[in-house]
Amino acid sequence: MNLASLLSRDRINLELKSTKKEEVLRDLVYMIKSKTDAELIYSTLLKREELGSTGIGKGIAIPHCRSLAVSKLEIAVGRTLKPINFNAIDKKPVSLFFLIIAPPQDPGNQYLLTLGKIVQICRELSKGNLINKPQTPDEFISLINEIEKKLIKKR
Amino acid sequence: MKKEIDIMRLLKRLFDLDNLIADKEADKKIGFKIDEEVGLLSLKRERASLLKEIPKEFADTYERVKERYTLALAEVKNGFCFGCFQQLPTEMLVRSNEIVTCPNCGRILFWREE
Repeated sequence: MNLASLLSRDRINLELKSTKKEEVLRDLVYMIKSKTDAELIYSTLLKREELGSTGIGKGIAIPHCRSLAVSKLEIAVGRTLKPINFNAIDKKPVSLFFLIIAPPQDPGNQYLLTLGKIVQICRELSKGNLINKPQTPDEFISLINEIEKKLIKKR
Repeated sequence: MKKEIDIMRLLKRLFDLDNLIADKEADKKIGFKIDEEVGLLSLKRERASLLKEIPKEFADTYERVKERYTLALAEVKNGFCFGCFQQLPTEMLVRSNEIVTCPNCGRILFWREE
């Protein structure tokens, strides 16, 4: 499974103007769904954050949940112009967001595998201080591709 | 009295919430921090209040099917219940706002929004 292949240019926004947690979550959700579907996902994501922040530290958060509103795994990426408070585990503000929404039935456990992989890639992004490097969605996808290749070689 | 379309919306929220609670162990394994006390309690409270909002007959059906199959809602796709993969009777294939259950497995059926 290749993460870069699950990303699409129109679902990557590296110039989010939102300054609040709720606004960012809403922006991300509306990149993949609209109307009542989007609102269902948004309300589930807010609940997920109550269970513990998905801010994994070093400026990155991975909001995620399963939802009836999607029929396949959907990913959106956002980067805010200024880091925002997301109650991350290291208490530091967050600027890079990976949103992952999976359908309730998930044959092959694709959701958890993808989630695990994104966590791994995010660690590499923060290790290399690369969060702010890509300037366009295409550059972002290439960077993820590169990191994935490096991770495969390391194995 | 609540409209069935609103009840369905509540059932979907309940369903997503249940999956969220069910996924917490997997989340922990991946490395996410889970607040087992305040956070979980708040979700359980939310679940209880959602259940209260849903008329008893539908709430009971939901709980009964969840007990049996874990996932209490199933999508209708191409004339099949995507919970048990049995073909649904023709008269059930017209998309409606009524809450219906699969005659074979009993899961609450939903149609994906366009």
